[in-house]
Amino acid sequence: MHDIVIKGLKKSFGRNEVLHGIDLTIPEGEFVGLMGPNGAGKSTLIKILGGVYSRSSGEITYGGNPVSSLADLTEVGFIHQDLGLVDDLTIVDNLRLGEEPLRRFGVLLDRPRERDAARLALARVELHRDPDTLVADLAPAEKALVAIARLLDRGARVLFIDEATSTLPPAEARRLVDALARTVSEGATVIMVSHKLSEILDVAQRVVVILDGRLAEDSPSSQLDREALVQMLIVHESQTLEDNRRHTAPGDDLLRLEEAFAGRAGPVDLSVRAGEVVGLTGLPGSGLHDVAYLAHGSVAPTKGRVWLADGVRTALVPPHRESQGGFLEMSVQANMTMSALRDWRHPLRILRAAAERRDANQMIEKLSVVPADADAAFGTLSGGNKQKVVFGRVLFRKPQVYVLCEPTRGVDIGTRREIYRLIHQLSDDGAAVLVVTSDSEDLFAVCDRIAVVEEGSPGHFISVGETDAHELEAFI
Amino acid sequence: MSDVMTTAPPTADNGMGAGQGSRRLAPLRSVLRSKGFQGSISFLAFVAVFIGYAVWLGDKFASTDARFLDIHQNAPVLILGLAVMVTLIAGKFDLSVGGMATLTTFLTIGLKVNQDWPFAAVVGACLLIGLIGGLINGLLVVRLHVNTFIATLGTGGVFAGIASVYGKGTQLSPTATSKGQIPGWFSGPNSFGSFGHKFPSWIIWVGLAGVALWAFTALRHRRPASREPRTWDAISAAIVIAVAALALLVVKIDGWVSAVSWTIGVLLIIAVIIWVLLGHTTFGRYLHATGSNPEAARLAGVNPGKETVRAFVLGGLLASIAGIVLAANQGAASPDVATGFLLPAFAAAFLSTVVLSTGKFTVWGALIGGTFLVWVSQGLIVGGLPFTWTDVVNGVVLVIAVALSTVFFQRQTT
Repeated sequence: MHDIVIKGLKKSFGRNEVLHGIDLTIPEGEFVGLMGPNGAGKSTLIKILGGVYSRSSGEITYGGNPVSSLADLTEVGFIHQDLGLVDDLTIVDNLRLGEEPLRRFGVLLDRPRERDAARLALARVELHRDPDTLVADLAPAEKALVAIARLLDRGARVLFIDEATSTLPPAEARRLVDALARTVSEGATVIMVSHKLSEILDVAQRVVVILDGRLAEDSPSSQLDREALVQMLIVHESQTLEDNRRHTAPGDDLLRLEEAFAGRAGPVDLSVRAGEVVGLTGLPGSGLHDVAYLAHGSVAPTKGRVWLADGVRTALVPPHRESQGGFLEMSVQANMTMSALRDWRHPLRILRAAAERRDANQMIEKLSVVPADADAAFGTLSGGNKQKVVFGRVLFRKPQVYVLCEPTRGVDIGTRREIYRLIHQLSDDGAAVLVVTSDSEDLFAVCDRIAVVEEGSPGHFISVGETDAHELEAFI
Repeated sequence: MSDVMTTAPPTADNGMGAGQGSRRLAPLRSVLRSKGFQGSISFLAFVAVFIGYAVWLGDKFASTDARFLDIHQNAPVLILGLAVMVTLIAGKFDLSVGGMATLTTFLTIGLKVNQDWPFAAVVGACLLIGLIGGLINGLLVVRLHVNTFIATLGTGGVFAGIASVYGKGTQLSPTATSKGQIPGWFSGPNSFGSFGHKFPSWIIWVGLAGVALWAFTALRHRRPASREPRTWDAISAAIVIAVAALALLVVKIDGWVSAVSWTIGVLLIIAVIIWVLLGHTTFGRYLHATGSNPEAARLAGVNPGKETVRAFVLGGLLASIAGIVLAANQGAASPDVATGFLLPAFAAAFLSTVVLSTGKFTVWGALIGGTFLVWVSQGLIVGGLPFTWTDVVNGVVLVIAVALSTVFFQRQTT
């Protein structure tokens, strides 16, 4: 039997231990669903198995043989969110990429034979497409199927699927999951990381939940209580919630989107009142972030209206911190003061260096940015500290409407709490806050009203705290 | 969806894994790794080359007058270096500055000699043309999204071409029968354009005093925690005074000051203005942000398109000034007079990223880098290399400089 057995697996980054000893057996031929909130350690576990990280201690065996990772085994394949396909090549070329080419007469490529092989590979995942189709022309789920077909074609018997379905609309995701289930029925092993409970419960034979770097659940899905699982995930997520929520009534509308369209977003109807925190979530590709750009004003509506109360300023924490967050080779100070630079301008239009420095140092202290050096290059900071600097920039602007995208992405637990506290404080001070996030923990921790964005439109808003687990399940 | 783990910094094993034996070398290593040292390697290398030349060639090379004459003659190139640097900061290449400078050289001579415009109007027209040329570049790049290489290569060709059309393809110089004559204060013996006409030295001394004061305050702010503020103030003052004494007694900086011609003086004034604009105004900050990450700049409320257009306009203006200075120096305009300055101008701008800096464009770095570049090739020429080798030297130094700055920048951010 080619079981994967993990024993006492630990992983630390510096002094920070993120996996506290995982014991897990994945029997051959099972469909395993791997769940857990962001930052719980799922991805770290997958990355150790995939050879991206090395483990700190513990052991991994495959079919009884100790291995350092599963990456070098041809029987094991990994599919990440980035599928590793070349969009500008055809399906057959993508399948052959990195393989010994099929030749005739020693030099020429044997295209007919390559196409036949491709058709065979596609048939195994029931993708009925011409192998000469460009990958760019495929639907997202079909691309994932091509990636799976490629792995199977190369002899993979164990497939790790890391959040490949989280970017897909439900119907597409369904198609992918069905194809995976079929490969399992033919003897393969599938380990799928997913946030979507229903998806996992429908097809997985075993559900594994990781919370805070520990195994919290490992049982056959037939024995699982759905309600209990929802409770486990939500209750855990709301544990970080600071229970000092004010219950002052929100004030007037500061921001209203009326039938607004832009990019993939629209129609968007949405209002945020003074002192209120409104949360939006949704899948990548749902137009979630376009709603944020609309609300911030960095994108003008192509149709409809974005209304702001008189004299109201907006500021944005952008969703993609690495690419949109800041200016890597510029100083922390310059990154923080960028959006409010005129505040430090002397009447002679020269910047008042001493005042800017003093205020930047105060903000660095307030947000406890590490290192506490206004001259440090932004690019040298860790992800969490970059996020603090971006928050500093937003705070300096002193807006009345905050649009915070993925406010806690990639930050550690401590910073996460600080950010939640900050958001509470902002709304207590009368600001309108729109939190746009793919991390459900943000929703439960800080928001008053939440909605899911699907196909560009926010659905029905529900009030956090007055809702039962069943309704909240849609947000996990 | 990224996780806590994926971005957590590897804090604990950040060290170099140094063993017992290398501990003794730790102070040396920390000096070698310091930003200050890495930022001045190229500067020190240049100083070493300079001293090497002085030892090799003696007074033929180590002559204050001859070396300042180099700067004087090179002033248009250095101004062009600043022009391309402004757009480089915004992340754009401006290849049209050579053409623009050629055009304004022709117009400065021609509008006076052929059309006999009042000289103020001639200069005004040249500056205006610089602004308009820069605006055209900016709009082509920002509004019409033309690739900057293509856009500025094209407009540069057009500018130089207009100069050629205007000059009828030949040299343009005043003769006794010309309709108008170039003012004596502008070009000719003992004029703005001549090396013999020296800049008021008190202005330079005031500037140097300012530099000393700036150095003193900068030092004061770097007080190590172990020092008392008052003793550190005294130490800082002592260091500045010592360096000043060294400059006066050993380097004989007073000789340098009296060698500064009007052209060099104007170059320094322009440099101070650009330095203030880039380093101490919102425009400069927005420009750096635009070059660093236009998308982040836009989301932070900066208008990258506007800043880019402004950069091209400023670049065009500086290029037109370079042409005017060139006209003053030469008193005549010959075809494509400034188009060959593009390589040394870019070399100066890129050298600024390694001279006194790690990976950032700086005004003073560009002036020093551009000057050293001339000295490096002049030294070879004094030593017997034919002057036709100049571009080879420029090219080699440019490539080395850019390679160095790339290496330094990577080291800084990873």
